[in-house]
Amino acid sequence: MSKIKDFICHLFIPNEKNNYQGKALHHDFLTVYLLFALILSFIFKKIDLNILGFATDITIEKLYQLTNQERIKNGLSTLTYNEKLSQAAYLKAQDMFNKNYWSHYTPDGKTPWDFLLQVDYDYEYAGENLAKNFLFSQGIISAWMNSPSHRDNILKKEYTEIGFAIVNGLLNGEETTLVVQMFGKPINNIAKLSEKNSPLSIKKIQAATTENYKLIITNNNKTISLKNYFYNFNLAFFIFLLIILILDIYYINKLKIIRLSAKNFSHLIFVVFIILSLIIITKGSII
Amino acid sequence: MDIKNILKKKKKHLWQYLILIFSGIIFLILLSVFKSQRLNQFIVFIAFVSFYICWGIYHHITDNRLNLKIVIEYIIIGFIVILLVKLLLI
Repeated sequence: MSKIKDFICHLFIPNEKNNYQGKALHHDFLTVYLLFALILSFIFKKIDLNILGFATDITIEKLYQLTNQERIKNGLSTLTYNEKLSQAAYLKAQDMFNKNYWSHYTPDGKTPWDFLLQVDYDYEYAGENLAKNFLFSQGIISAWMNSPSHRDNILKKEYTEIGFAIVNGLLNGEETTLVVQMFGKPINNIAKLSEKNSPLSIKKIQAATTENYKLIITNNNKTISLKNYFYNFNLAFFIFLLIILILDIYYINKLKIIRLSAKNFSHLIFVVFIILSLIIITKGSII
Repeated sequence: MDIKNILKKKKKHLWQYLILIFSGIIFLILLSVFKSQRLNQFIVFIAFVSFYICWGIYHHITDNRLNLKIVIEYIIIGFIVILLVKLLLI
């Protein structure tokens, strides 16, 4: 037990044995952290390029669950997941990548509702929320709930169904993750049968997109723990660094040690800003 | 060394620390401005880390305590940040 205690002291507390600086802050240890970060970065790049190709931890299941949670909290009925709405959302996201825009309306004047009609979804009420480049599902729902117009969409009592698409691509030359959330209330079936005669071309698009859409869901499930893991690892590492720097500063002042190394007070300020920045980069933008 | 002495010593370089804190605040503001633009955010990270390394070197020059070990320490910490943040941004 005392050996473990000595080892911990050797790692974190400045004393004669570690040349009055916690071993965890020595150059050899810092080099080990650097090599570890380098290996991690290399491994992640390999996995990302070869298998996953996704840069976020956003899943349709989580978005669906969180949206319904918000509705329940506000005394509203939950929304049913609708495949057609998700296909329309997928078409919208693909359209944004293909035509390079970030808006509810396409550059050629198409509305979000045109994508619903494209997949043969006849609606009485419909709505759309967009988000891009968030790292986590929770961040998206929080951002939407903090925006009055998006919140109104999520909490609209008329809606009964919902669909999502999470699509990666290049927008303005930058790797982007788009999230499209589509709401709807279908026209009842009797009215639909009497007035609707779907054109063949629409059914073709639907068949073609179903496969792609399923692929997106499958790929996205694979990334659940990976991105989350890296974010938590980053946060844990910098908090670890922060703690050892605080311990170092505390003991240096307590033991009145003067040494010829870098000033850990400046490292401390730097690490605090890096931790704050990690919180900021999880946030994307919504419209 | 009591708190008063530490503060007295720190006061000598107070403006340098203020510049570091001010640049940190600018760094956070820029990250918010470039919200959802991962590449631009990564460039902001690189700029802040580069500034930090330069700041560290200048700070130790004015303190007459600059040596190679200190320069390497700042560079290693800077590179660790860049590599780990790169995992999340690009």
